[in-house]
Amino acid sequence: MNFLSLIWLIFAPIIVALIIMFPKFPNHQVKIRRFAKWFASFHFVYALLFLAFFDTSLFGMSYEKELTFFGISWLKSLGITAKFALDGITLLMVVLTTFVVLITLFISKIHIRSKHKLYYSMVFLLEAAVLGIFCAKDMFMFFVFWELSLIPIYFLVSQWGNSEARRAAMKFTLASFVANMFLFFGMLILYYYNFAVSNVLTANIETLNMDSKIYPLWFQITVFVNFLIGFVIRTPFAFFHNWYPDIQSKSAAPVNILLSGLILNTGVYGMIRFNMQVFPEIFKIFAPVLMIWGIVNIVYGGALSIVQQGIKKMVAYANIATMGFVMVGLSCLNTTGFNGAVFCAIAASIVYSALFVIISSIEFRTKTTYITALGGIGQVMPKCMYLALIICFATIGMPFLIMFTPKLMVLTGAMFSNLDQQLMVKIVAFIGLGAIAVSAGYIMYFFYKVFCSVLLDQWKGIKDLSPQETAVLSALCAVIVYLGINPMNIIAVYQSVSSIILDVLQV
Amino acid sequence: MSEVIEMIKNAYMPEFILIIFIIVNILASLFFDTRFYKLSKWISLLGIAAAIASTINLQIEPDAYAFEGAFLTNIYTVFFKILILICGFFLVLLSRNMIREKRDRAFEYFTVFLSGILFAMCAISATDFVGLFVSLEALGLSCYLLLSFTKSPNAKQLTFGYLVQGAVVSALFLLGMSLIYGMCAQVNYDQISLYFANANIMQTQPQILLTFSMILMISTILFKLGIAPFSSWLPDTFQGTSYPIGAYMSTVCVISCFGVLAKLLMIFLNYTFTMRIVFATLAVITILLSSLSSIRQENIKRIMAYSMSVHSAIMLLGLCVFSVYSLSSVMFYLFSYVIANIGAWAAIIFLYNSAKLQNLSDFKGLWYKRQYFVFAFTVVLIALAGLAPTSGFVAKLYIFSAVARSGFIFLPFLIIAMIASVITIYAYWRIIRCMFRRIETDIVFDERVISSKFILYACSLATVIVCILADKIIQICQFSAYSM
Repeated sequence: MNFLSLIWLIFAPIIVALIIMFPKFPNHQVKIRRFAKWFASFHFVYALLFLAFFDTSLFGMSYEKELTFFGISWLKSLGITAKFALDGITLLMVVLTTFVVLITLFISKIHIRSKHKLYYSMVFLLEAAVLGIFCAKDMFMFFVFWELSLIPIYFLVSQWGNSEARRAAMKFTLASFVANMFLFFGMLILYYYNFAVSNVLTANIETLNMDSKIYPLWFQITVFVNFLIGFVIRTPFAFFHNWYPDIQSKSAAPVNILLSGLILNTGVYGMIRFNMQVFPEIFKIFAPVLMIWGIVNIVYGGALSIVQQGIKKMVAYANIATMGFVMVGLSCLNTTGFNGAVFCAIAASIVYSALFVIISSIEFRTKTTYITALGGIGQVMPKCMYLALIICFATIGMPFLIMFTPKLMVLTGAMFSNLDQQLMVKIVAFIGLGAIAVSAGYIMYFFYKVFCSVLLDQWKGIKDLSPQETAVLSALCAVIVYLGINPMNIIAVYQSVSSIILDVLQV
Repeated sequence: MSEVIEMIKNAYMPEFILIIFIIVNILASLFFDTRFYKLSKWISLLGIAAAIASTINLQIEPDAYAFEGAFLTNIYTVFFKILILICGFFLVLLSRNMIREKRDRAFEYFTVFLSGILFAMCAISATDFVGLFVSLEALGLSCYLLLSFTKSPNAKQLTFGYLVQGAVVSALFLLGMSLIYGMCAQVNYDQISLYFANANIMQTQPQILLTFSMILMISTILFKLGIAPFSSWLPDTFQGTSYPIGAYMSTVCVISCFGVLAKLLMIFLNYTFTMRIVFATLAVITILLSSLSSIRQENIKRIMAYSMSVHSAIMLLGLCVFSVYSLSSVMFYLFSYVIANIGAWAAIIFLYNSAKLQNLSDFKGLWYKRQYFVFAFTVVLIALAGLAPTSGFVAKLYIFSAVARSGFIFLPFLIIAMIASVITIYAYWRIIRCMFRRIETDIVFDERVISSKFILYACSLATVIVCILADKIIQICQFSAYSM
């Protein structure tokens, strides 16, 4: 297994991005695209090999590698090293990331008409940054990649979006930088007060903890909230979500897929890694608040999704509502809920990426994303309609499709949660059940309006899916169905990790 | 005689070499006419290179003294001196085009330039207030002279403010110095520290007088660094000067002032804790004000002036915490700031010299003309903004972590400073965005300008390398800080 190096996995996309950006590289779109697709395919296979050789019975991190420069570790005198490692949760996220990038590259051909070099290098830079976020074993290395991921997002949104995209991207980037400063502040405090307790200067995520006996509660809560602010903005939870529908509705179709497939997971991962693992005591105190926040998220996202006229905004709000399930699952503090939450985050990125692929096909053919402007295009695009049907059912949470198991697990977890506020927990579980019905309403409304109602005259001439799009959507549907039937295949990978995290957390 | 040679070799070899080359420069101006103006550049380069080489032979362990203890050499001073000399080397190269336009004053320019560097080094090595005052005043004088080298009509008006304010502030420094002398009848740092360390004296002496004289002295340094209440001269002066002199003032003066400031704060800060809060407040106010001002500027020199102010304020915030750890973090920040700043100035000087671009709006569409150049410039600006794959990030991480380490009381200042630093990211981002605008431009570049481009590439490479190998430099900084 020596050929499996995390360093290569993370830094290969950066090298490829630099190669593409290099002025001597041919500025010919077909060559660039072909090169990018080949690399992304190899990269995906390489990431799959990590999954194939992964030992699921292992507790803790595996595939550990340290990046050294001429034998010197990075900032060793400050206790900061460039170490990378994987555990079950991150492994799945890594494979997912490479998969989403691959399907994005297959979709990009029809949507990206200019600045090919910049586009493909930025996609790979984003991929590298997200992989780095997942694999970093060191807190400040995590932060480096966390900030690095903002720059490609800015370019991807602003350069290929519509006329308002530039402004929206700048707003998002600056707001994120401010949020990152809160995160950075929390990290610095954690770093030093951990040093004061243990007398070891380290930023290794596994060994960090803030001793609850030494520091006052308010201080720990301040640090916890600093971390939380950094992460809830990335995983758009309600009241910090404004950027997400805004950017999704203004950016190009492949960028939508990247945003929904890669970016949201990083926030969830950060919450698990820092807020749950480093501050278990505080997370217990905050669990009821977070659970209410999660359910508010579900209801709020669903309610806003119903009233949207643009498809992209509607799907973005639905995505936010689904992220509410993740929050509820995490704050249950039991194994069922936690496993469900992680699965839900993974399923959400697959399902919403697939939905954005469908939207991209529609947008490419009709040049509009308003629900009222579309109608009955299922008659001329039957292949698209049937694939979209599977994906829409998956979004709602139909049995034997991917979203069913995580939602079920989250709600079961909430029902049997051991939190002190038993009445609240039961109410949350029931509201969650109701919200699933609501989500069925708006997703089916979208499906009916777009594909099934009377065919408008102007859409009579449009063509069905191209073979490439069909292949991408079929692959996604295959994943959706396969993981819907065999959910344990996913859960088994990270079960040992979740048992470690929950040993500390269990009430 | 051999003792004198030994002392020169151990303690002040670089300064000695610089003095020799200053004299050579003056003599050369007598014997060579304007046609040989390039000679002055080569003399200066040779002098600085020889001075850098001679620092290797200096005695750094244990401390070497000269002039009966008035001049100190140890690893701390050597660190700052090497930094100053490297800056000087690059700045001589950057002055090339300016000198080509004023051939008759080339020897004059480099004489003043070298003596500025000499006194910047002497100020760091001084162990008493007299030596410090003389060095700082001479450094200031060389700045005034260099500022007057520009030929634009409003330059005199813009730089006059600096002259007047500088004169006032150095008078205040003298007042503070004499008050301290009146209290303890000493001028040597160590003896003043010893005097105030005696608890009985602290009860009998009025502490307010110590605080007052400290404010008077340190405000001189803060004036030169461009910290908030004393920063009004900064943008105007920078706009009025020519480019290499702006680079000179934002690197050599800053390095020298921080070398001095750390020594002064070491004497004073132990006795007046509240002053730490005052300095931290000043630093935070400066970061906010300067970063907010810089995002509306059009002239690139004004942006660089505000940028200098922001970086000095961040370093001041690190310094007023005052521990060994924070001092070493400030030294590392200074190192990374100097590399990035020289690189940015090199890029700006290149743009001015080869195409006369000086406003942000002129930079539009540069990416489609000069890709390697813009890429290197972007790397340097990212380093100044303190983002990830460059030395700026490590420096920021180190200095902020030093502040976080120092206790609860500085945490509010830290969070404000960190959020304000986002505004500076936007300020640098404006420059980058302008260069990437897809606009057809008819900029014609003069292909003969090579040295500034070369310095830009070297600096942008250095920022990345320093980020990767930061550990070594941090160890050197910590070692030097311990020797304080």
